[in-house]
Amino acid sequence: MQQSLPDLGAAASYTFPKPRRVTVGGGTVVAVDVPGQQLVSLRLVHPHGGAAEPLDAMGVSALTSEVLEDGPDGNSSLAPALERYGAEWVSRVSWDGFITGLDAPASRLGEAVRLFADAVRRPALDPDDIVRRRDQLLERFWLEAASAGTLAMRSLGGQLFTGRYATPLAGGPVKLADVTPETVAAFHADSVASVAGTLVVVGDLTGVDLEELGKTVFGDASAVPAGEPTAPAPPPGELPRLLVVDRPGSVQSALVIAHRAPSRSQVDLPRAEGISEVLGGMFTSRLNMELRERLGYTYGAGTRFDLRRDSGVFFMSTQVEADTTAHSITSSLEQIAKLRESGVTEEELTAVRESNTVGLPVNYATARAMAGALVDMVVHDLPEDHVDRVRAGYERLTKESLDSAATEYLHPDESVVVVVGDAERLRRPLTDIGVGPVEVRTPESLWS
Amino acid sequence: MTTIGAAGRVGQYTLDNGLRLVTAPASTGQVASVNLWYGVGSRHEVPGRTGFAHLFEHLMFQGSGNVAKGEHFEEIERLGGDINASTSSDRTNYFETVPDHALDRVLWLEADRLATLREGMTQEVLDNQRDVVKNERRQRYDNQPYGTALERILRLAYPEGHPYHHPTIGSMADLDAADLDYVKSFHKAHYGPDNCVLTVVSNLDPEDVLARVEKFFGPIPARDTVPEAPDPALGAPLGGPVRDSVTETVPAAGVFIGFRVAPYGEHGFDVMHLASAVLGQGQGSRLYRSLVVDRPIAADDGGAAADILPFRYTDSLMLVNMLAREGVGGDVLEEAMREEIGKLAAGVTEEEMDRARAVLERDHLQSISSPSGLADSISSCTQLFDDPELAYTWPRRWDDITAEEVRAAAERLLVDDNLLVVRFDPEEPQAAGADAVAEASGA
Repeated sequence: MQQSLPDLGAAASYTFPKPRRVTVGGGTVVAVDVPGQQLVSLRLVHPHGGAAEPLDAMGVSALTSEVLEDGPDGNSSLAPALERYGAEWVSRVSWDGFITGLDAPASRLGEAVRLFADAVRRPALDPDDIVRRRDQLLERFWLEAASAGTLAMRSLGGQLFTGRYATPLAGGPVKLADVTPETVAAFHADSVASVAGTLVVVGDLTGVDLEELGKTVFGDASAVPAGEPTAPAPPPGELPRLLVVDRPGSVQSALVIAHRAPSRSQVDLPRAEGISEVLGGMFTSRLNMELRERLGYTYGAGTRFDLRRDSGVFFMSTQVEADTTAHSITSSLEQIAKLRESGVTEEELTAVRESNTVGLPVNYATARAMAGALVDMVVHDLPEDHVDRVRAGYERLTKESLDSAATEYLHPDESVVVVVGDAERLRRPLTDIGVGPVEVRTPESLWS
Repeated sequence: MTTIGAAGRVGQYTLDNGLRLVTAPASTGQVASVNLWYGVGSRHEVPGRTGFAHLFEHLMFQGSGNVAKGEHFEEIERLGGDINASTSSDRTNYFETVPDHALDRVLWLEADRLATLREGMTQEVLDNQRDVVKNERRQRYDNQPYGTALERILRLAYPEGHPYHHPTIGSMADLDAADLDYVKSFHKAHYGPDNCVLTVVSNLDPEDVLARVEKFFGPIPARDTVPEAPDPALGAPLGGPVRDSVTETVPAAGVFIGFRVAPYGEHGFDVMHLASAVLGQGQGSRLYRSLVVDRPIAADDGGAAADILPFRYTDSLMLVNMLAREGVGGDVLEEAMREEIGKLAAGVTEEEMDRARAVLERDHLQSISSPSGLADSISSCTQLFDDPELAYTWPRRWDDITAEEVRAAAERLLVDDNLLVVRFDPEEPQAAGADAVAEASGA
């Protein structure tokens, strides 16, 4: 039996497939052929996300996205019709994009896409359907927020931003109630129906006529560029500070430590994502090794950037045994401080560099993942060799460039710590650690 | 019979030590997915040792004879690879997806923990991972609304002492009782090449893959003795209706209904799989149409109310689950669900059958659309049915099942004698947070 790690073979260099681009009317089809991938991922990107919503229509994008599922004939008829073709409806609203799509067998793509186009361009938008969907969404907010981790993430926006970002993407448990069927119809007409958008198609495209696909999906809709949103100001309040969202009887606390970050176009992606990976992006990252593998406080801890067109958020999140909450916070802050002071190790530098270069074939091993990358490129106006450029950025990383990223992008002193847990049990220990003032709120009081 | 392309290109080999290797092509290049299915799961646990198979899975990442704690994860993550493992009642699987030049390294890491885990195991890592698993239990079960549903369902569905009576996560008390000697004996008893299916999905030459697997796994001896699994036979029918009613902090009433059906892999399972799709999979399903759209008394779950927990060695469990809308009581929802389930015995249309087949086939295609999902499906079909190609042809099992078969099976199985119900009701008459919504709507 061999006693040591075998050598690696030579890594083949990876290049993201060059997409085929076809302009059809007001829209563009961006396609990657993956022979043998029978399930085709199709995504239509409209450049209107939650960030562009006026403050008296918060949640209209999310509600419209749901209502499209009622289909051209209304009354939840779209999904059953698609199901007959073995196709699955996909829809997602982000802060910066309104995305609809299908995962469908290549053999039945044509039929499914005709139905898809009707659903996006000519939905019934029956007021009864809209009100039913809205009420369901409002109720679902609290059903989902009954999970501590979800509630913690939803509580974050109001701590870091004023304006639109202070309310959850789907309009929260209150504001969405003000969105009327008329508002939905107007949003759909102005931002979806009449806007061609960009169609991403990935899968086995043997025999697929992209031009025809584009005609079906775009019709006579026109090209409309995305607006340029501006970042809302932070709310007043001392930093760092702690917010406890009371969840009596919780045996664990959901914990998020977050601060504002630059926008997607402002960050140097390999350096920012790289330093986040060292801190919490991988299983072997510092926070997980400390909180899980050394202290045994949690099932897992991680960090991530949420980068938008006009702003960004950096956050660490975890769920820890209730009695370890205070120590989990100080430990996490210590880990961040240490990374800022002492920088990364050679091993960490190598891990970040290699995982994001030689590891790329793993990231893009499915049609869905490739479609996701293409959608990202459309939403953020990135060049089509974006993946390769970022790879080159990772290849250039040095210890110095990652160390400087730690001080440039990680700001524990500007953090808000959100804790969803049992306030009675947590108030004293969280006050005692002296990180900042502690405020206790009930979940219901967070949104008005 | 049409299958999707790759069937027929599957390679199947058995090493002298009993390890079964399957190779299959990937649909994108430069990538290798490695998946190991060991034929050990929570059904092998004895009373007082629940949760052990899963705790053991965690320990497999904590170092072995030639690998330090954390090194396995480090090696794979440094290559940008995906890595994880999971435990169910019937098996434990370990899987990695890496750029294909790293295949030898993955095979070596897997072979080392199979051959020498006992040499790397210490009390310290056992204590640490026990805490981690207890936090996993808190996160997924104890601190989650309806989190204990599965545990309660299994308790009702299978009698005390039956190997499927408890969930894979186990109990806090049993986790506390785990000791180092037992860890070592568990590895010796269940972790042998003769209890493993290894699948490699890649574009490498199958003969080349075989040679590498021979090199790393060939020298590992088979187990001396194969332990007997606890008897999964069910002496008696369920004797329903049986129920467990819970009043606790949940945001809405929740109804979980279960029926025993045929073991996974049997024709009767496939028939009921279609029945569950007609009833509760997709937005064209009966429960979605009737209780989410038409009445509407159930929360919108997108059409995911029914499915089957697939157990290979005992009766599987068909589960139907919905949450009540605001202001709707648990009794109202439960009665409506049971009524809808009961109607299946009156007949199923051809259109419903077509939709059910399409939905199940779509989900299957989705599950094998990644190299890692394909590898897992192949390992499953090989470990459980000795037929890797089933991973590609599985949807054909539904082609010839008739509407009458589904109706007749529903009439026989979806009856009170075979019924279990777990009911969650909120402590207060109204769900937490409901007041705030009502006020705002009225404002």
